[in-house]
Amino acid sequence: MRRSPALLVSAAVTVTIPGVLAILAILGHQHAVAATDAMTVTAISDDSAVGPLPSAPTGTQPAVRDSVASVQRTSGTPVTVLSDVAASQQAFAMSLLSRAAAAGQATSYQGVERSSQTGVDGTVTMVSQVWHQGGGLTFIRTSGGATSVISYESTDRSAAGVFGVTKSMVALLGQHYVAVYRGTGATGGRVAAIVEVYRFDGSLAARFWLDSRTLVPLRREVFDPSAKLVSDDSFVQVQIGAVTDRPAAATAVSAASGTAWVTASSPAKQLATLAGQGWKLPATLTGGLPLYAVAWTGTGTDQVTDLEYSDGLYVISLFVQRGALAPSMAGWQSMSLNGHYVDVCGHSVTWAGHGLVYTMIADAPPQTVAAVVAALPGSVQPGLVDRLGRGLDRLAHLVDPFG
Amino acid sequence: MSHLGSLVSALIDGELAGTELDRANAHLAGCAACRAEAAQLRELKHELRTLGDLDGAGAGAITSRLLAMIGPTGPTGPTGQSGPVTARRLQRQPGRRARRRRGRYAMWGAMSLVVVGVGAAAFGMGGAPSGNEPQITPQLELFDMQHALTSGDVPFADPTDSTGTRAQGAAKGPAAGPVKASSVKASSVKASSVKTPVYASLRASAEATRP
Repeated sequence: MRRSPALLVSAAVTVTIPGVLAILAILGHQHAVAATDAMTVTAISDDSAVGPLPSAPTGTQPAVRDSVASVQRTSGTPVTVLSDVAASQQAFAMSLLSRAAAAGQATSYQGVERSSQTGVDGTVTMVSQVWHQGGGLTFIRTSGGATSVISYESTDRSAAGVFGVTKSMVALLGQHYVAVYRGTGATGGRVAAIVEVYRFDGSLAARFWLDSRTLVPLRREVFDPSAKLVSDDSFVQVQIGAVTDRPAAATAVSAASGTAWVTASSPAKQLATLAGQGWKLPATLTGGLPLYAVAWTGTGTDQVTDLEYSDGLYVISLFVQRGALAPSMAGWQSMSLNGHYVDVCGHSVTWAGHGLVYTMIADAPPQTVAAVVAALPGSVQPGLVDRLGRGLDRLAHLVDPFG
Repeated sequence: MSHLGSLVSALIDGELAGTELDRANAHLAGCAACRAEAAQLRELKHELRTLGDLDGAGAGAITSRLLAMIGPTGPTGPTGQSGPVTARRLQRQPGRRARRRRGRYAMWGAMSLVVVGVGAAAFGMGGAPSGNEPQITPQLELFDMQHALTSGDVPFADPTDSTGTRAQGAAKGPAAGPVKASSVKASSVKASSVKTPVYASLRASAEATRP
């Protein structure tokens, strides 16, 4: 068979030209992405220093570390103890987080969040739709069930669904961890600035993704001290800017937000007041979580007091009220946490003792939750002697109610 | 007519004198009942004096007299017409001892039953909450919302409270099929209540569950 040179040339051109064009397109795209990253970093700050990972010098005594850290906290300077990260780097990272907290409130956004959290009862994953009107309300609707809407005002509180990046949480974070800006990455289809948070011993505690243009938090990973992932919350889909398709019921439910709980002006004073009423509650939970807020709702014997403990990353809400647990509680499962008898429902743990019911909702590793429960009063089942004594008292009270 | 009553004893003891003695004697003369009572009292006092003499005779004399009463062949009967002591054979009586033993056992058994019963009741009552304390089921809806507000997280609901549920392990997103969403506590809020303020409705439900 005779081959035509013209045909061969035309075939070569047909194959080669599109190939060359494709290669050029790929190279051009990569160049464009690189340019975008560079632009993003520049947009975030001129100070895009990325230093070495923080590490703790060996042989240093924890007491010395804590002492120096305390001085730094008191003086208001960033805590840099045992960290190779320069103070300016920490300041920059904290600045990003602070701006992210403000952006989470001021910026309108909507999207689908996926939250996965490991608690004492296993790992729970939840997907919800979130609409946030900048400076206003946040609406959250979960998928999988009937359409329901939760809403509240975010006047003096931060909006929910911002992965813990709130003003108060960031302030606490700066006191207990070392934050470092680690460059950019991508999540939820958007370019994000990554901030990593380290413990003073150099272990990674959390990683935040902040939208590179608006700094709205897009994702957060939290690790326990053994580097195990404890929670992973992220926008799997997000639209920043105008909010559309907001639930119609939203405007109807927005009213009473924030009115049910009264916040104490001074948590320490409120704690002292509670102590005067016989409620022995700690100012710092096991694991170094300090009390940072106290609120209550209801009055008299129906009052429920909420004590909030956090180091900026782990958050434990402890609700205390008078009474005893009902003998049968739908949805709750009895279990033992290191010998302490509690009832668990999702990431909520409840127990009773000394006339009080404690309910704890924790964003913290299971081992931290177990340690906190063990350190709080009432979770230990009474021994035989205690139980018999209490039973005899009640019998005596039955025989002689006035005795 | 009233009787002498306690004056009988005083009369027998010689403690009356003067008009009291005269009036007592006059009454005795006309009252058979008081005479009989006076006679009984005299006899009793006589017997007591006899016993007093025995005491005075010493322990050895009493022993010998008791032994003499028993004798080698059994009891000798009354020691005298006015003697109050009746001697009986001192010998083992198995029936009585057995009865005593059974009684003792019954007493110990009853006491043990009481102790065990009270202990069981105390154990049972000691473990249960006091009847005076309000029985509470924690209001997770209210608490979860408060926790979400303060922590800045999405309210993480009671997973058993949802139509969806709970997934172990990581999810791949909302459209990942088998991975369901644990609905927020609000999923328990009925559609009809959506139009009411959430906090208000939650608080109302919290109060409704109180005893």
